Amino acid sequence: MPGTRIETLPQLAALQHDLQRARSRWTRTVLICGGTGCRAAGSAELGPVFEREIANAGLGEQVNVRYTGCHGFCERGALVVIAPERVWYQGVRLEDVSEIVSETLLHDRPVDRLLYREPMTGETKVLERDVGFYARQMRVALRYNGEVDPADIEDYLSLGGYGALAHVFEAMTPEQVIEEIKRSGLRGRGGGGFPTGRKWETCRDAQGHLKYVVCNGDEGDPGAFMDRSILEGNPHGVLEGMLIGSYAIGASQGFVYVRYEYPLALENTARAMDQAREYGLLGDNILGSGHSFDVEIVRGGGAFVCGESTALMASIEGGVGEPRSKYVHTVESGLWERPTNLNNVETWANVPVIIERGADWFASVGTESSKGTKVFSVVGKVKNTGLVEVPMGMTLHELVYDVCGGVAGDRELKAIQTGGPSGGCIPAELLHLPIDYEHLTEAGSMMGSGGMIVMDDRTCMVELARYFTSFLADESCGKCTPCREGLHQMLQVLNGITQGRGKDGDIELLEDLAELLTWGALCGLGTTAANPVLSTLRYFRPEYDAHIHEKKCPAGVCRELVTYRVDPEACTGCHLCARNCPEDAIKGEPKKPHEILTDRCVKCGICFGVCKFDAVIVE
Amino acid sequence: MVTITINGKSVEAAEGATVLQAARSVGVEIPALCYHPAVEPYAACRLCLVEVTADNRTRVVTSCNYTVRDGLAVETDTERIHRLRRGLLELYLAQAPGSDVIRELAAQYGIVQTRFQIRGDDDEKCILCGLCERVCRELMGKGGISFAFRGTERTVTTPFAEPLTDCLGCGACAFVCPTGAVVERRSRETVELDAWGAEVPMARCSVCGQAFAPAAGIEYAANKLGIDAEELCVCAGCRRLLHSRALGKSGGHRRCPGE
Amino acid sequence: MQGQERQETDADTDIALLAERYGGARGLLSILQDIQAEYNYLPRPLLGKVAAELELDLSHIYRLATFFKALSVKPRGKHLIRVCLGTACYLRGGPQLVESIRHAIGVRPGETTSDTLFTLETVNCLGACALAPVLMVDDRYYRQVTPDRVGRILDAYREGVSDSNAGD
Repeated sequence: MPGTRIETLPQLAALQHDLQRARSRWTRTVLICGGTGCRAAGSAELGPVFEREIANAGLGEQVNVRYTGCHGFCERGALVVIAPERVWYQGVRLEDVSEIVSETLLHDRPVDRLLYREPMTGETKVLERDVGFYARQMRVALRYNGEVDPADIEDYLSLGGYGALAHVFEAMTPEQVIEEIKRSGLRGRGGGGFPTGRKWETCRDAQGHLKYVVCNGDEGDPGAFMDRSILEGNPHGVLEGMLIGSYAIGASQGFVYVRYEYPLALENTARAMDQAREYGLLGDNILGSGHSFDVEIVRGGGAFVCGESTALMASIEGGVGEPRSKYVHTVESGLWERPTNLNNVETWANVPVIIERGADWFASVGTESSKGTKVFSVVGKVKNTGLVEVPMGMTLHELVYDVCGGVAGDRELKAIQTGGPSGGCIPAELLHLPIDYEHLTEAGSMMGSGGMIVMDDRTCMVELARYFTSFLADESCGKCTPCREGLHQMLQVLNGITQGRGKDGDIELLEDLAELLTWGALCGLGTTAANPVLSTLRYFRPEYDAHIHEKKCPAGVCRELVTYRVDPEACTGCHLCARNCPEDAIKGEPKKPHEILTDRCVKCGICFGVCKFDAVIVE
Repeated sequence: MVTITINGKSVEAAEGATVLQAARSVGVEIPALCYHPAVEPYAACRLCLVEVTADNRTRVVTSCNYTVRDGLAVETDTERIHRLRRGLLELYLAQAPGSDVIRELAAQYGIVQTRFQIRGDDDEKCILCGLCERVCRELMGKGGISFAFRGTERTVTTPFAEPLTDCLGCGACAFVCPTGAVVERRSRETVELDAWGAEVPMARCSVCGQAFAPAAGIEYAANKLGIDAEELCVCAGCRRLLHSRALGKSGGHRRCPGE
Repeated sequence: MQGQERQETDADTDIALLAERYGGARGLLSILQDIQAEYNYLPRPLLGKVAAELELDLSHIYRLATFFKALSVKPRGKHLIRVCLGTACYLRGGPQLVESIRHAIGVRPGETTSDTLFTLETVNCLGACALAPVLMVDDRYYRQVTPDRVGRILDAYREGVSDSNAGD
């Protein structure tokens, strides 16, 4: 698309105005989610078909078709929203397109089978704002995720994009920008929760005139995909935030570090940077302000530890992702020993909104200590899984039940894991806790990057601790002994407990290792690595005891401690289990009750999962 | 100079010195296996952990890379520090059961055996301190070996774990190894470093014919100095003789370059 | 496999270009990833050339190549299967998919089939958590995969058909 380099602030305002007018001439817009999740459901094929059908219906001049970034409700993909009313459709396939065009676009009628149904009542909802999943959200960092085409900078401009930057250049000094961010109370959204304004200020005051800003997009927590969605869906929002930050701090160069496992985020961010450069929003003397800034993408190589700031910087410098001690902070000495301000993707995405709507507005949302909103990825055993953005201070109960529809299958909620592998579990009895940095930490967990895994009574908490420990042991860089050797030994003990070889003294061993990790490890990965074990010990000690002393797994999960058998009353002899058994351990004749051969059964649970008649018993 | 306290006693330390350096300067012992004054601190072994208090805030830090500042209070032998050291030594006993150095250090802290599962071979001595690869890279500028893999797969090795064909034979890696995992063997013909599969032929003195230094090392040094390898191919004894003759004295006490 | 038959004569120019694109020695990871994308692994002779071009020790290249999971010094199969074992996928049947794949093609994570068609790896999180359990074959995501679909998904690749709806 032909680019026009914008040289001045009035030119920017004029272009925004023109683009906004062009946008408003569309009577309707078909917004198709182009995020990774919906693409996996075939959303990439929907666009051309919509365009064709719309043209055929003679609506080519009135109805626009646009792809947006991830809407967050990925399991319902492909998602299609019809603006301006925002009629909300889920599970859209190619064969549904013509009906949407003829019914909704031509005759203003919703297509019933594609509508959302409330999990509790079964009631259908037509508009996005009434859909339970969205009704209680407050989308700030995600504000443009269902709205803007991330591949088109002009779409961003048409919504007023880069207007916050323009305001900063026009009316604020760097010090005033820092004051505004401080006043807003914004805290790091990557997990640390450090006050952002204060970080910027320290970096600005640090010695040396060559400084850097970095965006940490190495979101490695399993179960978290907030940053992926923001980078895919609104890369310009992140760039604008970095531009404002670079101005405040006095940096002229930036880096965006993105995991290589996020190809679409990499592609969309790179394209956004190219377009921003074309339009003069990156480079020298931006908008005639005298401030110059450019930015580079650095691709990760598959190492969770690179989410740690010093490891990330080592990787940018061309080395392995090995952290270093942080006795001197990176804001004083970071990349190439120069002052470097690193913030998470979501933190950067909040910046333009704060400038636009004011620190007072931001500080009016949330709690005393935790201002603003937070994006969470709520996954696991929950009815509505996906990304939600809610004000800090909402309770865990509200989040799971009101926003996400409650526990899948209406089973009992056992616990919620927050903060990824560095966090801990919050048991069901603490669901009344408001979600903010302090409350989660006091409960033995942490906010982390925002991953929330909902678990029901069929989750074994010991196995969960083992899983996280195994993950961390796999991702440990191996530099320091407490982490490299300590996690390995912790895993050996947990393997023993979950495999029926637990013994007296195991818990003490785990606690000793936890102390060694917490006090002795070199970086944040190691110092928080014992949290999964410590928090499950705190709230679910009886489960550990059952595994160790009774050799039983109360949740029915740990393979060595359970047996699988077929209930002859319920079995219909459909043979589905036998067909899927990887060990050929199920025998039976068609339409007759089947039998599991216990000496061949490896307790993988596949039969339990595929059986449609609840005929597989685990005890 | 700055004034700090170590275990309650006032100590003067040079500005920019680390707590470990300050402690050692007054004879306070802190174990530190991955530390060597010839290379940058690495803070990997964690044995040098101490408690420091500044501005009413106490932290546990590695003393090898924590810079002193005025008013810092250092405690090197608290309950917690000793618990951490013991825990670390138990881990080392499991990692490197073949190391006498570890066994003796552990014994000093009352640890005779480890509660953890032994993960190394019976004769394993390596504790992955990285000193060998740091001297090879930082000090010698050669970089023949490096860390590879990560987590418990981490090891110090040659590229593709193949015998190092261009080893200098300087032996610095063996010299700094704290546990004897890297051993140098010299014979009349070669310098051998089994850890890297390196066998470096010795060069013979061009004057007296005795094997005296690894040939690759001489080449390397000559290259760095920008001179002919021939010039360096003279053993120490012959060089002393040549110099004294040049100065008209026999076996004088004058110091000659290279001695 | 196409990649492995490539001549290395054009490799010199490629590397200089890559070095230019990624800012020299500090772009080593990206350079290696691009080479990996072309050859399906990191051929040893090319690593020597990278060392020479960037004036880095071969040991440093080897260190990076073995540290990052995105890189492999061993040849990989034509199709890379990645099963996500992030928490959400783990809770929703990811490990069962690993078993099903073993049932279907006989390999464990880290292994390649004897006909070099498939390499199986597990990944710690693909960021598609709401679609758990997720697996990828090359660049394609498969969502909410059940064990009975695994066979169909893999068959499509065996037959040389890359159908976006395969296994849906």
